[in-house]
Amino acid sequence: MSEDKKNKNHPDNDQDMMKLVDNLNRKEDVNLNRRAFLKASFGTTVALGLATTPFGVMSAIGNDKEDAERIEIATADELAVGEAKNFNYPTEDEPAVLVRTPDDQYVAYNNKCTHLQCPVFYEHKDNVLLCPCHKGYFDVNSGHPIAGPPQRELPKILLEVKDGKVFAVGREYRHG
Amino acid sequence: MDKKRVTFLSIFLFLAINVISLSKVIEGYYGQEYSHVYIFMIVALISTGLATIAFFLWRKEEYKR
Repeated sequence: MSEDKKNKNHPDNDQDMMKLVDNLNRKEDVNLNRRAFLKASFGTTVALGLATTPFGVMSAIGNDKEDAERIEIATADELAVGEAKNFNYPTEDEPAVLVRTPDDQYVAYNNKCTHLQCPVFYEHKDNVLLCPCHKGYFDVNSGHPIAGPPQRELPKILLEVKDGKVFAVGREYRHG
Repeated sequence: MDKKRVTFLSIFLFLAINVISLSKVIEGYYGQEYSHVYIFMIVALISTGLATIAFFLWRKEEYKR
């Protein structure tokens, strides 16, 4: 066997590397891919880890905001049992719904669906809060999702009924 | 198990921790549960630091002649 044939699988210059006829350096290829894969995985780990920091910073900034303003939203006799009224709380950009339930209780929630932010409506017939976009249903007494795509409860607006008036006095994002 | 394999596999463990931490941080941020945001942010940063150490240890072993 000639010397050339013996060294067939051992390229000794760049020109040989260009001959992609056979996968002559399979083992090396596998090693290189394994290394590249680990490096990419490490890069992803770092990127995901660092991606948490802006949320931490924004939380530290936003944490100071107080939204417990006391606002009159209705008079006690304005709503009959099973009726609802829309209002905005705590700011004009945050719509909410006040419901007088069949149990004669007042409850209020911000009515942006926690799925994709569609408006949520009170359905008197079924006594539920309904998001018509993707048929998301929320329990009117707790604000928690009972059917459909939403996974998180609606932000609850804390109420106070005093002197025949209903006041919004605060808000809880996670409750129950 | 040798050191190289441990460091190799640990990077994937830290990757999984960071995926979960990021999802918890986002959920905490939009749910205004700021204590969750801080806890999981710290977890993610520690995990990232450990992943970096693991990566350099792996690299040292991998390219050792």
